[in-house]
Amino acid sequence: MKILVPLKRTADPDNANKIKIAAGGAKIVTDGLEPKINPFDEYAVEAALRLTENAKTRVAGDKVTIVSFGPKEAATNIRTALAMGADDGLLFHADDEALDGDLVARALAKVVETQKPDLVILGKQAVDGDSNQVGQILAELLQWPSATFAMSIELAKDKKSVIVGREVDGGVVKLKLELPAVITVDLRIVAPKSVVNNVTPATHVYSDGARYAPLPMIIKAKTKPIAEAPIASLGLDATLKSKYHTFELPPARKAGKKVKDVAELVGLLKSEAKVL
Amino acid sequence: MAIEESFLKSVFYGAIPEEMIFPYPEPGRDARESTQLMLESVREFARREIDPAAIDREGAISSAVMQGLKELGLFGATISTEYGGAGLDATSYARLIQEISGIDASVAVTLGAHLALGAKSIAMFGSEAQRKRYLPKLARGEWVAAFALTEPGAGSDAANIQTRAVRQANGLYHLDGHKIWITNGGFADVFTVFARTTALDARTKPKLTSFLIDREMGVRSGPNEPKLGIRGSSTTSVYFDGLEVPGDSVLGEPGKGFKVAMEVLNFGRLGLAAGCVGMARKLIELSVDRVQERRAFGRPIGEFGLVKDKVARMMAETWALESMVYLTTGLVDAKVPDWSLESAICKIFGSEMLWRLVNDALQIAAGIGYMGAYPYERMLRDSRINLIFEGTNEILRAFVALSGMQGPGRQLAEVSRAVREPIKGFGLLSDFAMQRARSAFGRERIHRAHGLLRREVVLFEEHVALFSKNVDKVLRKHGKDIAEMQYTQRRVADIASDLYALAACISRSTRAIERKGEEGARRELELTSAFANMVEKRLQANVAAFDGNDDELLKGLAGQAYLDGGYTFDVL
Repeated sequence: MKILVPLKRTADPDNANKIKIAAGGAKIVTDGLEPKINPFDEYAVEAALRLTENAKTRVAGDKVTIVSFGPKEAATNIRTALAMGADDGLLFHADDEALDGDLVARALAKVVETQKPDLVILGKQAVDGDSNQVGQILAELLQWPSATFAMSIELAKDKKSVIVGREVDGGVVKLKLELPAVITVDLRIVAPKSVVNNVTPATHVYSDGARYAPLPMIIKAKTKPIAEAPIASLGLDATLKSKYHTFELPPARKAGKKVKDVAELVGLLKSEAKVL
Repeated sequence: MAIEESFLKSVFYGAIPEEMIFPYPEPGRDARESTQLMLESVREFARREIDPAAIDREGAISSAVMQGLKELGLFGATISTEYGGAGLDATSYARLIQEISGIDASVAVTLGAHLALGAKSIAMFGSEAQRKRYLPKLARGEWVAAFALTEPGAGSDAANIQTRAVRQANGLYHLDGHKIWITNGGFADVFTVFARTTALDARTKPKLTSFLIDREMGVRSGPNEPKLGIRGSSTTSVYFDGLEVPGDSVLGEPGKGFKVAMEVLNFGRLGLAAGCVGMARKLIELSVDRVQERRAFGRPIGEFGLVKDKVARMMAETWALESMVYLTTGLVDAKVPDWSLESAICKIFGSEMLWRLVNDALQIAAGIGYMGAYPYERMLRDSRINLIFEGTNEILRAFVALSGMQGPGRQLAEVSRAVREPIKGFGLLSDFAMQRARSAFGRERIHRAHGLLRREVVLFEEHVALFSKNVDKVLRKHGKDIAEMQYTQRRVADIASDLYALAACISRSTRAIERKGEEGARRELELTSAFANMVEKRLQANVAAFDGNDDELLKGLAGQAYLDGGYTFDVL
């Protein structure tokens, strides 16, 4: 089985408070923030790895390919995924501002044509743009079945279908998708028992979260191939369908107030906050 | 021009082999990328799994954390890829151990003993069969290594080792003895053990041989020793009660154990110094947060001059230490043959700097610094060991001074021989004369430093010239007795240390200017400048003390105290 995992380089979301807005609100400035793999994409990598291994060793013939559209530096982020265990990478050079969800989905559809994966697993959204579009548009373009916000994936023994769990209000919906298919994943996909491939023994418990690359794998990742090309090589219409108009930071929080006692608190909740 | 195969040993002659320290070593893109990936893995693992307060409180690293460290591949970090390790070079290893030390010193010490001492001794001196037998297991963390040198009567004085190994007619060695304070002693599976293979009587020159002893050969460990800091690391006695060990347990050549110990410890010390960088960074981070948050008299305490003074010194000294540690790992990775002095100096400078720094950080934190709920007191306790283990700083100063003066001393002896035997000694004399001629013309120069560092460069050049003159002078004055002159040795070692730190800062700042331009490298230049000011005062004091000092007065005071049995004065 072959899985394609798209990956976006984003500014470290743990330091989002350091984000600045360029004059005029034209764009977000992330200078000084460490670029990291979009966390949801990292979960997608983890899910793909769990689907294609027997606890630790890759199932013979299975493969995980990483693809990214972004600056040349994104090769480092692809390398991280390779160190986690993915097999190879594709990087299409593009300026982040020359991309939108639609163009990325169209580019991915082209990549799917040549790579012929059985499954595309994506993060549900990138933590910078929060658009939450690419997986859905891609499934539409490919005319593939899709499931969004997956919290669990079980691969059938015959590897012809998957059962995807989606958390909804009041419970979990399980969908069966015939492969090839597109899945976008949510945070819970990296819980210890979320991914079942019917190869890894049921007794094996993954640790919670995406794996960190062990040192020997990091060294090994140096020799794994990353093919690079300009995004233009995919021959797409580069016109963007969405444009960001202006950005503004959320208003600064006002300083808190210290209250003497419960009575004062209740009073303020009534008079000022008007919640009582 | 290099006279010795070591930068610093050349400086003892007044020479400045600048090609050895310029350009400042930098890892290539690949190495930088993979090292960063490793650090990310380590940080992420630590964030999720490592609780330094718990490790300190429980006096042990939990088996879950140990397992995690092993799965991360850290136990194989420096072991060659051929044996399943990550094959890190000295620079990447130092950066890694720096990071880990900033997270938890017990974990760093546990890993350091396994990698930089135990596994390193096997990688450097083991036969192919020994490397194949041990390194893959060590790389996986299936086995843990330890280094067993210290004994009740032999710490710094390794030649006094009493553990004995006697080769028997059947080819086995009979090993008998007892080691103390062995890191990883409680659970290690293989010990690099140093034993005397010569007779114990005083007339026989002691010769040490190193052995690889498996726990399953019958090694017995004592209980974990309660200790001031690094409480999560295992420190125990280790007993070899008349073990019969196979002849192929010998590590390296029989009788060459002292060399094994010294060469391995060079690596160990460099790792300790890198660890000091990591702890210093962490403490600066804590301090900078604290002084901006804590308010007194209506403003953050960070605005007060005496707080700024402490933070600024922390910055300048950490900059100097980091510069010298990574200059040295660069020398190691460039396969410079001799960096023993450089590594010892990094350890001395690093451990003493960290001790001052942790003291200042605790002082800034004041009341909370003293309380167990905050990390300062633990870090203070954890950092103290660095001044003691892998060679006390006192012994290392003697080592730096005497080992550095050996070359010039030998030359002096050759000159006196040359004078007696003019023809035979002619060749030797010409080298020496050249050397003298150079210092007569003035100082040797650095050409590759950036012009903005002129003041620091002149300070360095002048003190190198002065240093070699003083080395020459004390050698002429004391001859062989220099071995007994510890006050003088300390001065020599401290000057050598400051010169090395200064050279490292100059080289690194030059690199920064080349990379980022004068304005871009402004902060690096300021750090170097502040450090040079600190060094200048110390250098002047040390130089002046060659001629005017109260060494004899102080020796007398100590001697009298020994006779009196303590402090016998009282106001009553």
